[in-house]
Amino acid sequence: MSRRHDNICTRFALSQLYGVSRLSVFRSRRNFLMDSAVVAKGSLLTLSLPAILSACQRSQLALEQGAEFRVFDAETAADLIAIAARIIPTDDTPGATEAGVIYFLDTIFDEPKRASQLASLKEGLLTLREQLPPDGRYFYELDEKQQDLLLSDNEQTPFFVTMRFLTIAGTFSLPMYGGNRNKVGYQLIGYEDRGAWWPPYGFYDADHVERGE
Amino acid sequence: MAEVAFPSFSTREEVDFVIVGTGAAGGVIAKELSVAGHSVVLLEQGPHLQASDFHHDEWAYDHNLELTWGRSQGYPQTFRKFESDVAEEREMVCGYAHNVGGSSMHFSGNFWRFRPIDFIEASVRGTIAGTNFSDWPITYSDLEPYYTKVDWEVGVSGLQGSWDPPRSREYPCPPMPIKGSDVLLERAAKAMGLNPYPAPVAILSQPHNGRPGCIHCGFCNGYGCEVNAKSSSLVTMIPLALASGNCELRTHCTVHRVDTNEKGRATEVVYWGADGVVQAQRAKAVVLCANGSETPRLLLMSESAQHPDGLANSSGMVGKNLMFNGYSTVMGLFDEPVNAYKSVPATRVVHDFYELDPSVGFYGGGGIDGRHPSRGTPMGFALMAAPAFGTPAWGSDFKADLAYQFAHAAAFDGHTTSLPLSTNNITLDPTVKDKFGRPAIRTTYMDHPDDIETMRWFYEKTVEMMQIAGASNIVGDYERDGQEGNVHLLGTCRMGNDPDSSVIDATNRAHDVPNLFMCDGSSLVTSGRGQPTMTIMALAFRAGELISRAARRNEI
Repeated sequence: MSRRHDNICTRFALSQLYGVSRLSVFRSRRNFLMDSAVVAKGSLLTLSLPAILSACQRSQLALEQGAEFRVFDAETAADLIAIAARIIPTDDTPGATEAGVIYFLDTIFDEPKRASQLASLKEGLLTLREQLPPDGRYFYELDEKQQDLLLSDNEQTPFFVTMRFLTIAGTFSLPMYGGNRNKVGYQLIGYEDRGAWWPPYGFYDADHVERGE
Repeated sequence: MAEVAFPSFSTREEVDFVIVGTGAAGGVIAKELSVAGHSVVLLEQGPHLQASDFHHDEWAYDHNLELTWGRSQGYPQTFRKFESDVAEEREMVCGYAHNVGGSSMHFSGNFWRFRPIDFIEASVRGTIAGTNFSDWPITYSDLEPYYTKVDWEVGVSGLQGSWDPPRSREYPCPPMPIKGSDVLLERAAKAMGLNPYPAPVAILSQPHNGRPGCIHCGFCNGYGCEVNAKSSSLVTMIPLALASGNCELRTHCTVHRVDTNEKGRATEVVYWGADGVVQAQRAKAVVLCANGSETPRLLLMSESAQHPDGLANSSGMVGKNLMFNGYSTVMGLFDEPVNAYKSVPATRVVHDFYELDPSVGFYGGGGIDGRHPSRGTPMGFALMAAPAFGTPAWGSDFKADLAYQFAHAAAFDGHTTSLPLSTNNITLDPTVKDKFGRPAIRTTYMDHPDDIETMRWFYEKTVEMMQIAGASNIVGDYERDGQEGNVHLLGTCRMGNDPDSSVIDATNRAHDVPNLFMCDGSSLVTSGRGQPTMTIMALAFRAGELISRAARRNEI
């Protein structure tokens, strides 16, 4: 057990282990997103969401469909899609784009109580855009390598930390919130979304029975 | 079956009992008193949710606190490590579910009994300078019949054996099937000469008392059970209380005061009703089961000329001796799929270190069980895995790592003792208020050095177990700088024979107020080893019986 491992397993990690059950989680989520507001259930159930974005169409389609977002203009949506796509990329399996993370964002930020969080998010995006090359206006216009470099430079900023949090939340939360479409998040990590099981659950308990332990 | 007539009492009618809180203790006492024929008004600040309301919704429960409530819902709390600090406002410090059934609705279901040593440890082990470590006024054998009542009436799954503390009756349900995470724990423990055994849980492994067996969905800890297999107050006790015809349940009621008269007796409980209008329910006796943070706050808020330091607080012990239980966690990756996200949190426990040998140089003890590192939650794991394992936090490598880690990870957790200290306490925050204007719960807490040493000991032991189990990428930690919140809220109205050093007597009656009773985590004299709910429920069965008996003899 190296000292490095001790340091790596930060309080953040520990707190996330327990979530609601162990309260340290509440002090780990002190980025600006978590400071206030709940998701209003009613508004989430009345959504009429546009079609899934495919990987090859992602930013362009967002631009064309910009009018369908409730809280983002087309350029903001396209940039957020592009950022989420660098956090959980589309490679040999679906990523944040196919999960519909942008629709998750559009859903939760439509809640009036999140207005100040949305403003902070948009402000963070503007700060990111200020770092674009002189002729650049939007993040999504960069190639992927340039995008990764810029995000690496911003890895410790509240904006990136929040976008990482939201991309993961949008990929793995219940599809009712607009993301995790076709349960691509569950498929990615090998989570069988059956809601009920009977043993054997995995290799080791099957082996336990087989050996008669 | 005839339809049950639910009573509706007038607030001006003096009912036999008002009970504040419907959780592990309040549910049991409401059932015991109402079935025994006493009239009961049961007050709950949250809603009456049902199984059909519960979902595997991490976004709502873990990240928006829809079951537990926090600052976002208008209930801020404050925290400081030391009494010399100014407390800082937090989303939440003391955590508990706000709903009928209280935290028994969303808890993990781990249901260890306390052992005989827990009640007499100060005598056996010796007192500890600078602490309030002391014996209970009751022993394990006093409580054993009530542990057995909980086993059968509430519903516990387990396997009796030499590992158990003495028990008068077998478990009603067999143990849960072993999970891969606990196969790994069991093999490592046996290789070390230890004695792992099936974990007792308040989750049904097979139908019992008209409720179904568990479907092993994996969402226990932090979630409500969607099939009523978890043995919460919500589904075991409250329905019986309501069916008695003697209990009126009032939800969305926020209590802020217990009034007393010139004779020093409690007369009524004052609360805001669901419509926000102030009500005061008169009663012959009051039972507070609001949990180890809310019960002392309510007593402190009920100060009067006669009780200037808060109600039932002549000892000065109301709110003091807060104990969280310590914990440690170590996780690792295994070659084959563990799939620890399926089924109940833990199916094996190691209690060989229940009492650490005094030669270690500090006081402490605990238990170890196997788990999934993120309680099996997909979003929680995806957020936590990279910083924990030190793997890339975003990009294709992050994604590839996640795809492997989720099913291949297991954790071994330590659950440990906390010492009772006057300096660890619940008080009224002088400035921060909740949305009703009640002073926020202010927590002052710094783990005793022995508690931190105990966590460290368990951390190091579980690292060794992980290595023996064959894990790679072993990482973990313990609360080396002291805890800053928890869901175990123990000791803040401690039980004792001496009115100068305790708040309630051995029958859960306030020393200072003859018709006021407290029963919940606050009653505990010592912390046990990290799974207090079974003992809270057993105490509640005992208190319910004793209170009913006293009422019938006109001795309240």
